[in-house]
Amino acid sequence: MCHHTGGGLVVGDDVAPPGLLVPVKRSVTLRKTVAYAIEEAARHGTDEDPVPVHFVFLATWRDEDPGTDAEKKGAQKLLERITLWANEDQSEFGAKSSVSVSTTTLGGEAYLFDPADYAKILATYASEHELDRVIVDPEYSLVGHTTLVQPLEYELTRTSLRVDEAPVERPTRRNRLTGRTSKGRFIALFGTSFLFYQLLGGFTNFIGPGVFDIVTGAITALVVALTLSNISFYREPTLASSPKRLARGLIYVPYLLFEIIKSNLIVAKVILDPRMPIDPRMTKVKMYVGSGLPLMTLANSITLTPGTVTVRANDQDLYVHSLLPAARDGLFDGDLEKWVRFVFYGRSAARFPSPRERGDTEVLQEPVATDGGHIETTDDAHTDTTEDEQ
Amino acid sequence: MVGLFFTLVSAAGVIRLPDVFSRAHTASQADTLGAGFALAAVALTIGWDSTAAKTVLLLFFIFVTNPTAAHAIARAAYEEGVEPWTKGEERR
Repeated sequence: MCHHTGGGLVVGDDVAPPGLLVPVKRSVTLRKTVAYAIEEAARHGTDEDPVPVHFVFLATWRDEDPGTDAEKKGAQKLLERITLWANEDQSEFGAKSSVSVSTTTLGGEAYLFDPADYAKILATYASEHELDRVIVDPEYSLVGHTTLVQPLEYELTRTSLRVDEAPVERPTRRNRLTGRTSKGRFIALFGTSFLFYQLLGGFTNFIGPGVFDIVTGAITALVVALTLSNISFYREPTLASSPKRLARGLIYVPYLLFEIIKSNLIVAKVILDPRMPIDPRMTKVKMYVGSGLPLMTLANSITLTPGTVTVRANDQDLYVHSLLPAARDGLFDGDLEKWVRFVFYGRSAARFPSPRERGDTEVLQEPVATDGGHIETTDDAHTDTTEDEQ
Repeated sequence: MVGLFFTLVSAAGVIRLPDVFSRAHTASQADTLGAGFALAAVALTIGWDSTAAKTVLLLFFIFVTNPTAAHAIARAAYEEGVEPWTKGEERR
């Protein structure tokens, strides 16, 4: 067996890899993937020249976001469990000292959206630690419940890394479905679709012919809940927090309507003004609301208000095009951000300095050229990540 | 009537404003208040009825989809490298 010396441009099957990178998330095939990675490393490693295996948890939260402690703890727990598993496997394959295991969490500094972002972070990490091969868990999922292995693998193959899917037995679809759904999700979805059905049916009288609607509604809702409860709901609905969040959302609606009407009048006045005193600018605002649904709510609320359009959500930065200085000021005052924080996290989270006070606003007087701008911002985020990890 | 007014303003805005980005602003007007007031009027005319509830539902979906569409257009323009128009530039 030939020993690997640095660099490692072309790595054939028989050449010892300098190191393995394994992105991990909770999945049904995770245990076997860990075993496979250790076995692979054990095949090539020697006591003098151990093969490093890095298990990496990619964060779906951002460190400053409120309400992410549970997720962080979950990740920590998973990594601890993986270390235990890896140790077991090391003894099994007799690779106590020829394989060195380490675990880490990456990407807590920025919202990551598409597989390219994840691939970039992994590639940066791999080159920092001289790893040249990625082993992907076939059931690995980036965010929530969607399996996005293929796009991630595609993005990874575009880097200099070698990508393998762990050849582990995958459970059937049926198992996966029941594996990811839960009672809370099921009941919530059933209730929602049943109510929706009755609403469309017009709440016919519940006696006599109205029974038909109830029965068909229940059947329809059952089918919907059975098939879709594993992909609906961003986070687990609970009796304690979900109704509260819904109620706070209902308070938010009149406020949003008021804002819409107010800015509608302002914009209408400007458009009908023969001189048309507009002063459009592209701006960049950093918003702290949490990724996923809260960020979408905020971005959509901003767009819904005339005078401001969210152009791009890049990590935590929202690129907002604003038509008028007044709209810009409103945006920087962060009222919408506060409201969204209130809706999703409660009253205490709403007390938060505005983007202007935080210094998180930026007017891009000369709009950034498309490509240069994007690469620059994402690169910054990545360097931050790696620096913090070291 | 109010709905009609805002839709008209929105149409005028689409014609008068200088570029893609600013036009996206005014397009959202037609949907929010234009359709908003029109549908609210429909709901009031019908009265307290399940059809009125459906109208409100319709409004809800418009409010969710409209910003998504506006965002998609603006983002597409941004990714294609369209430079936002700034004050002082000549009208295109």
